[in-house]
Amino acid sequence: MRLAIAGKGGTGKTTIAGTLARVLARSAAPRQVLAIDADTNPNLASVLGIAPQQAQAIVGLPRSLMERRTREDGTTHVVFGADPESVLREYGAIGPDAVRLMVMGKVGHGGAG
Amino acid sequence: MCSAHATVRGFLGELVARADNDRHVIVDMEAGLEHLSRGTGRHLSRLVAVLEPYYRSMETARNVVALSAELGIDDVVVVANKVRDAADRDAIAEFCAAHGMRLVGEVPFDPTLTQAERQGGAPIDLVPGSPAVMAITRLADVLTA
Repeated sequence: MRLAIAGKGGTGKTTIAGTLARVLARSAAPRQVLAIDADTNPNLASVLGIAPQQAQAIVGLPRSLMERRTREDGTTHVVFGADPESVLREYGAIGPDAVRLMVMGKVGHGGAG
Repeated sequence: MCSAHATVRGFLGELVARADNDRHVIVDMEAGLEHLSRGTGRHLSRLVAVLEPYYRSMETARNVVALSAELGIDDVVVVANKVRDAADRDAIAEFCAAHGMRLVGEVPFDPTLTQAERQGGAPIDLVPGSPAVMAITRLADVLTA
């Protein structure tokens, strides 16, 4: 199941997304639930029950994960060059019911542009 | 495209495309769906537009549904949140019917949830038996079916 939840800020979409993640994690175990916070004002961690200290420790994805590649016709394009699983392990957090959280809004401002 | 945005877009695409039988993925997104590329959209099983019973929120949801279609997401549904009474329910049902939006469930307005959110924790831990948490639990079956 690959579900996206969207809506106007303040509609409670994050409450629904986070609670759904926890409910699914309990019913679908041992299948893992990955909750992705793609909001620019990330607060999914709190709804998932991740402690503020742990949430604050989540670091942004470095931009250096993107690689510029050259196509056969000589034009270039930018692709995600890293192994997603190792990025998840390194930058994600694990919350109650073993829900894994990845915060996308926190992209680092440092690193190769 | 700025590279921060490209990073998020690229990584989200990888994660969604790779999710399979041993992992569920839930993405919490802004109404603009900025981080969704067409490719990622096609890999989504379903998109849920959440709306509240007031005009601007319903209009935003209508826009989300339209954007989703443009992104090639086949299965787009609507969930009503913070529903207080029959008038709210009717207003939402009417709006969805008028715009061809598929309403699949509702979560009631729930003051106990507001209280839990003030404390800053998971509603499912703080108020597990609350009407809103119970409704979301039922919704899980509908949304993952």
